[in-house]
Amino acid sequence: MLARALIGSLSFLLAAQTSAAPLTVRVLDSNGRPVRDAVVTLRPNGASGRPSATGTFSVSQKDMQFHPFVLVVPVGAKVSFPNLDPTRHHVYSFSPAKKFELKLFAKDQSRSVVFDKPGVVALGCNIHDGMTAFIMVTDSPWTAKTGANGIAQFANAPNSPGRVSVWHPYLRAKANVVEQNVSAASRSTTFTVALRSPPMAMSDGY
Amino acid sequence: MFRARSFSVLSPIARLLATAPLAFASPALAEGADILSPETLSVTGTVSLAATDSEESWVDRGFGKLSTSGDGNDFRLTPLLSEANLIWRPRFSWALSANVAGTFQGGERNEAGISEAFLSYKPMRGANTRLSARAGLMWPPVSLEHEGADWHVRDTITPSAINSWIGEEVRPLTLEGTFGTNVGDHKLTATAALFAANDTAGTLLAFRGWALHNRRTLAFNEQPLPPFEPEDEGYQAPFTHPLLDVGPGFAERPGYYAKIVWQPPIPVRFELFRYDNRANPHDVNEDMEWGWRTHFNNLGVAADIEGTQIKAQAMTGRTRMGYEEVPSGRHWIDMRFRSAFVLVSRSIGKFGIAGRLEAFETRHRGSWWDEEYDEDGWAATLVGKREWGPFTGLVELIHVSSDNPAREHVQLESRQKQTRLQADLRLSW
Repeated sequence: MLARALIGSLSFLLAAQTSAAPLTVRVLDSNGRPVRDAVVTLRPNGASGRPSATGTFSVSQKDMQFHPFVLVVPVGAKVSFPNLDPTRHHVYSFSPAKKFELKLFAKDQSRSVVFDKPGVVALGCNIHDGMTAFIMVTDSPWTAKTGANGIAQFANAPNSPGRVSVWHPYLRAKANVVEQNVSAASRSTTFTVALRSPPMAMSDGY
Repeated sequence: MFRARSFSVLSPIARLLATAPLAFASPALAEGADILSPETLSVTGTVSLAATDSEESWVDRGFGKLSTSGDGNDFRLTPLLSEANLIWRPRFSWALSANVAGTFQGGERNEAGISEAFLSYKPMRGANTRLSARAGLMWPPVSLEHEGADWHVRDTITPSAINSWIGEEVRPLTLEGTFGTNVGDHKLTATAALFAANDTAGTLLAFRGWALHNRRTLAFNEQPLPPFEPEDEGYQAPFTHPLLDVGPGFAERPGYYAKIVWQPPIPVRFELFRYDNRANPHDVNEDMEWGWRTHFNNLGVAADIEGTQIKAQAMTGRTRMGYEEVPSGRHWIDMRFRSAFVLVSRSIGKFGIAGRLEAFETRHRGSWWDEEYDEDGWAATLVGKREWGPFTGLVELIHVSSDNPAREHVQLESRQKQTRLQADLRLSW
């Protein structure tokens, strides 16, 4: 989990980085338990740059669910949607960052979508109401998803103050985001977030 | 001598069946259709071992509320193939699909037939709205305990009295539409339906009282009624067909049901359901099956609190049958019925436990059956469940205690208690 968060943040780095100061962000819920699938974004003051849109990304459909539940991709990334189930899926999103519809026949049919605007994309399946997932399209080179331990690490964060934001689909705040400042000195920060319960599993309907 | 046949009385059901093959043959369905592949078929089955005491089951024309019979003070051990289902779910396009479930029920009586057969239309939703429709034979969306294409009970072996009655008597031919939308973080869904051929809903409830079982009525099949007193023979057939239009013609007085669901942004869901079959209590056919004017309201609440699920339903309704007596104006049968249950369940890894408490009653104020026939009762159910891949094992202890004066028709005390320990093994493939 930690390695994956680390690799995820590394792939967004710019070519030249002079003074790096590793930053660790920890996300906990109101009971002190680590929160997974939180997307942490660092925006250092004065630093700018776009993440490189290289890398292969996919959201598969397997066992009547999307995998992964939260995927972080850079702006301009191409994400494939392989259907690994024996039933067809009708994937859609109405999010302003990307509206699309994909009809995917069963067993390995895959199509791809390019995500050219930053923002949150909420996915659903028109046939199977219980399927839900999110794609965070980011324009910051420093964006990572927390694993089961609730930690996101930025090994090559610049040594300057900035703003860290945490987004989670169930975060009880405006736009599901909370933010904090980080100084050049403090390289470890903790967010305690209030999460609402995940949506109730409705029966598959009659 | 050639005799011309007249088809003027061809029933709408037969007409639908005659034109259905034309729909399947249409070339417009070729793209994206999956009619008969292994993915469209599934099989489920349940074998059971039950130990039941006390009275004969209603399935055997007794007044016992469970689907298996006891042996007085002794427990009767009954192994049985409880049910087997073959489910066919063809998909004609991305929006149009069908659901056909054929069922075999074993036990005191063996029966086979169709339990559900309906078309489902679910076009691509809008950003904030969703529309869907269904047409055919299907269970109305009342039960919080049932799920799946074979309409099985999720947490227990035996459903509550409320949902047992839905499966045995509330089974019309329906045209249903649903509209859903979001208001902020709240989800709202409204369903409305028109239906026909459910004129006899209420017959079993009136003459036998409440029961607890998953022996749902298969299309066109009948359910037995307990014996009447000798002087009451001849008013009502000794059986009832739930899927029946007693009046002349078809769907001359359609019934309706409506449902509203509210899901706020907390793990609690509220459902309100209303049903009225608008049947004519004066209608009777040559088998002596009557029209029963039946309406009911059902309130459902489902909640998930840190992994423990709580489900509750409360139903209140009224049914009337027969001619009005002069001068009181009371129908032969005029019965109010009420029941409520609370079900608590929890999964612990591959294990599950569930407990349910419920109460039920009927209040007769008719001219033929009056308050002397009022029934009161309660039941308690405890279940342990374990899953192994496609298999699910359940062990259930259920106890029913009820006071039903109609039991005197079979020379039994009106107050009876019944206990059953049952083990089920379910397979889903």
